[in-house]
Formats: sequence, structure tokens, C-alpha cells
Amino acid sequence: MPKEVPVTVPMVGKIVKVLANLGDAVKEDDEVATFEAMKMEMPVVAPATGKVKKVNIQPGQLVEADSVIMVIETE
Amino acid sequence: MEDMVKKVQEIEGLRLKIKAGGGEELMAKQRKSGKMTARERIAYLFDEGTFVEFDIFAKHIGRDYGLDKKSVPADGVVTGFGKINGRYAFCYSEDFTVIAGTFGEMHGRKVCKTLDLALKMNCPVIGINDSGGARVTEEMGALSVYGQLFYRNSRASGTIPQIALIMGPVAGGQAYSPALMDFIIMVEKTSYMFIAGPPLVKAVVFEDATEEELGGPQVHTEISGVADLAVADDKACLDTTKELLSYLPSSCSDEPPYAETGDSPERESEELLKIIPTDPNKSYDMHDVIREIVDSGRIYEVKGRYAANVITCFARMNGRPVGIIASNPNIMAGALDFKASQKAARFIRFCDSFNIPLVNLQDVPAFLVGTKSERDGIIRHGAKMLYAYSEATVPKITVVLRKAYAGGYLAMCSKDLGADFVFELPTGEICLMGPPGAVNILFRKEMQDAKEKGQNPEEVRQKRLKEFYEKYVNPLYSAGLQHVDDIIDPRRMRPAIISALEICRNKTDSLPKKKHGNMPI
Repeated sequence: MPKEVPVTVPMVGKIVKVLANLGDAVKEDDEVATFEAMKMEMPVVAPATGKVKKVNIQPGQLVEADSVIMVIETE
Repeated sequence: MEDMVKKVQEIEGLRLKIKAGGGEELMAKQRKSGKMTARERIAYLFDEGTFVEFDIFAKHIGRDYGLDKKSVPADGVVTGFGKINGRYAFCYSEDFTVIAGTFGEMHGRKVCKTLDLALKMNCPVIGINDSGGARVTEEMGALSVYGQLFYRNSRASGTIPQIALIMGPVAGGQAYSPALMDFIIMVEKTSYMFIAGPPLVKAVVFEDATEEELGGPQVHTEISGVADLAVADDKACLDTTKELLSYLPSSCSDEPPYAETGDSPERESEELLKIIPTDPNKSYDMHDVIREIVDSGRIYEVKGRYAANVITCFARMNGRPVGIIASNPNIMAGALDFKASQKAARFIRFCDSFNIPLVNLQDVPAFLVGTKSERDGIIRHGAKMLYAYSEATVPKITVVLRKAYAGGYLAMCSKDLGADFVFELPTGEICLMGPPGAVNILFRKEMQDAKEKGQNPEEVRQKRLKEFYEKYVNPLYSAGLQHVDDIIDPRRMRPAIISALEICRNKTDSLPKKKHGNMPI
């Protein structure tokens, strides 16, 4: 049963890089974006294996804590 | 003589019948669902031939609702003691094939007796939970005996290790016993923990929720922080229990057990030069650092998926167990939020109860600020870390790898909180406030004046920032004031920590006499 799994950021910050695009296949723990907060660049990793169904962000965008930056559809 | 043999045969015949639990059909159903039976779990956990069962003939107490005519083998729980990797432990293992493993009065008395004996014999206790919950047909008998169990879990807390394995449903009040124990390990797909299941939830708060959504392993390892670990199946659960026990003493009067690992205490690590970035804007995974410095790269992490901005794990250094608390710059820049503070404080206090030295690795830009953090109660949760470290009398060794700003530096165990030895890497930055913030305050007027004069305030800021770093934010400044004992080569992190741990084996420290403190809970 395919499931939609949200990719979130844990705190308020800024998206630096978007590393996975709509339709890309990703594996759990692959780095899908880089985000900056507290003067540190940190990886955002895929919480599940599947295809990127939605991308909600662009580089440079400010994001709130717990916001959904991407959605992954599992098999 | 024949009379005696005949009597023995009768009893042994009965014993065999009881061991069949709820019968072959229900046993087969249990196995088909991917679960081991109560007795299979015990046989797997304990060293062969060492398990001694007691109260197999204990009889259920309930007499209403047809219970007086029903056969309830061992009242649905197997209790006893044996050796796990050569060390004694007590265990109760609920039998789901016997009236769904429900907690009846005698079932509860057997569990309480297991705890009483474990406490008396100074041994760990492992609870294998697999139950439909309170046995409603026994009414107050079931409720009261839960209370007796919680009382014992609480009073035994900190004297013997108590490990709860969730190997099936754990519903209602029964969830509170694991919560009072030291560690909770769940099995994926076949275990849940919640105070009320879907039907009651729907009836009382009108919510539609599945068992998984209410209290599956993902909920408790990632969101609520109730469970420490979730593993693939029953065997993995029992294996990981054995591994956890290998780091723990049998009781608070014992030293944690030594084990030969063959990893030299003098081993240096070139790899650390690659792992730890000198650019403060670059993050890294602190797990990589930990694996380099501990024996054989082996760690036992708890709550790994909850508040991952702080890592809490057991490991061995020079053969002896240690508890490691470390910032993880990869997650939230290693900042301390309210969840990480609670997670760390609990782990610190467990280690302190059981004589396990603490090794603290700092790369922390402070406690998390902002409205969300304040409303989450960062003040009272953060205070838990300060309390836990200050109260701890076990050896405390701290290494400052990079940032150690403000309250974060104190909270990750500075000298002021009683760290016995503190080392700093050449990249260490210990300071009262993050430098950019500090400069903005200290030189606000100067920057304002520059702006009014038509000059570039940013130039002033950069100049003052550079000076600030040179004057205050460097290891020589902190070492100059005895905030750290030495500035060390990252390659020598392991030998430095181990030498400190070795001398600390002679450490004596005690708290002022009191009933107990008032920890900000």
C-alpha cells in the first residue's frame, strides 16, 4: 500500500540546497536537502524509501519548525 | 517408595500440562503471528538449563464469571530466575495464550514476588509484557495488584536494573510499569503500548485511531520518547536485552562489568582529523566521533530516534562501560531543546544510579531559543540537565570539540557542574554568549555611532568580532582560567579520556544528607 511520508525540518531555519527533485527515487536516509539554522548547515534526510511526490521549497526559502518540505510516496 | 514415585509422577504430569499454557492451537496462533511463546522467550533469553521457575502451580484467585470452573495455567505468567551470559537475573514472561495474558490478581502477585526476590537477591529484573491488560473479571483484585507492582517498580528504582520488553499489547494501567522501569524495548509490528485502545478512545474522546497510531513502536521511539528502542522481532528483542545487560552492574552496589575488548587504551585516531570540521558552519555526525574513541567502535544507543540532537549511548572504554552524552551538530545544530534535555537528564541519572562513568562530548551552540522553545518549557526541562549532572557523583569527563556557548556549555557538564576533567580541542569555543550576539550587544553604541557618522557599521562589527574571537573565544583563554584542564590533539581524544577515567576509579564524592532533592521534573 503506497503511503505518503512527509519530510520535515525540526526547527526554524533556511533551505540552502534542494538535492532531490519531483519524481526522483530516494532511499531512506539519503540527503534530500541542506538546511541552515543556528549558523550551521545540516542535512535533511529522507525518512523512507520511495519517490519524491511533492517539493514544497526552493533554495533560500525560510521554513518554520515542523514544516513539510517534501513528500515521499513509498511503494 | 513406590508411593512417593507415584505422587511425584502425578505432580510432574500436572506440571507438564501447565507448561502447555493455553494449548497447542493458541500456541500455534501466537507463533504464526510472528511471536515466540512465553516459555520460548525465556528459553532463548536465559543460558541453557539455568532457568528456575517458581509458582508454576499458583492458582488464579477470581471465582466469578465462570473463573471458578476454568483452568488458568500458571495464571498466565511464567516467573523465575536464571543466568544470562553467566549473570543472574529475574524474569516474568506473560503468556498471551492464557486468557490473553490478562493481569489477574495471582498473575500480579507472581510479578510482584519476582520483583521482591530480585531486590532481595540484588539482581536485575526483566519484564516480558504480552497482555490484553487488566483481567476485568477479577475487578479490584486486578487493579490493586497493578498498584502493588508500580509501588515495587518505584521503590526498587535505582537499586536493580529493571528492563521492560514490550513483546505484545500493553494496554491500560499496565503501561505504567514499564514507564517506571529503566529501559523499554518494543518489537516492530507486534507490540503496542497505550493507556486506552481504539474502542475506548472512540467512545470517550470520539477519536478514530488505530493501535499503531495510538502506541506503536514508531510513536514511542520517535514522538513520545516513551520507548528506548524498537527492534525487528522477538529474537532481536531478547538479543538486544542481553547486550544491554552486558553494560550494567547487577545492582547499585556493584561496579559495571569489565570485558576484555583488545582495543588499546593508547590508540590514536587520524580519522578524527577528517571527521571534525574546522569550519564552524559545517556539521558532522557525532556518532562518527564516538565510534572512533570507544573500544572497537561499538556503541549501544538508546532513544536514538528521539531528540537526536543529543546522543545517549553506552560503550566500553578500556574494557569498562561508560555512558556517553554527546551533542549531534547534524541535528538542530546540536542545540538543546526541551526533549533533548529530558532525554539526557534521565540517562545521566540512570548512569549515576548504577556507577557508570559519564563521558560528555560538547559541540553545542546553546539551548534552543524562540517562542516555541519557551512555551515547551525549555527553562524547566533544561534545568533537569543542570540538576542531573550536578547531582551525579560518578566520574564525569568532558571534551569540548567545537562550540560550547552559554547555558549549553554548562548543561553539557562544565567543570562548574563537577566535571572531574575537561579537555578542549584547538577548535574549542567556550564563551558566555555566541560571539555574533555578544558583539552586537557590547558594541551596539559604537556601531550606531559609525552609522550616524556615515561609516560602515558592518566593518566595525567584523573588526570587533575578530577581536572578540582573539581575546575570548579560543582555547588558550579558557585554559588560562582553568575552565579546561588541557587543550588536546583530537587524535588523542581516546587516550586522554581513558587516562582521566582510570584515575577517577579512585574518586569519592557524596551528596549532603537529605531525603532526596526536589528535581525539576
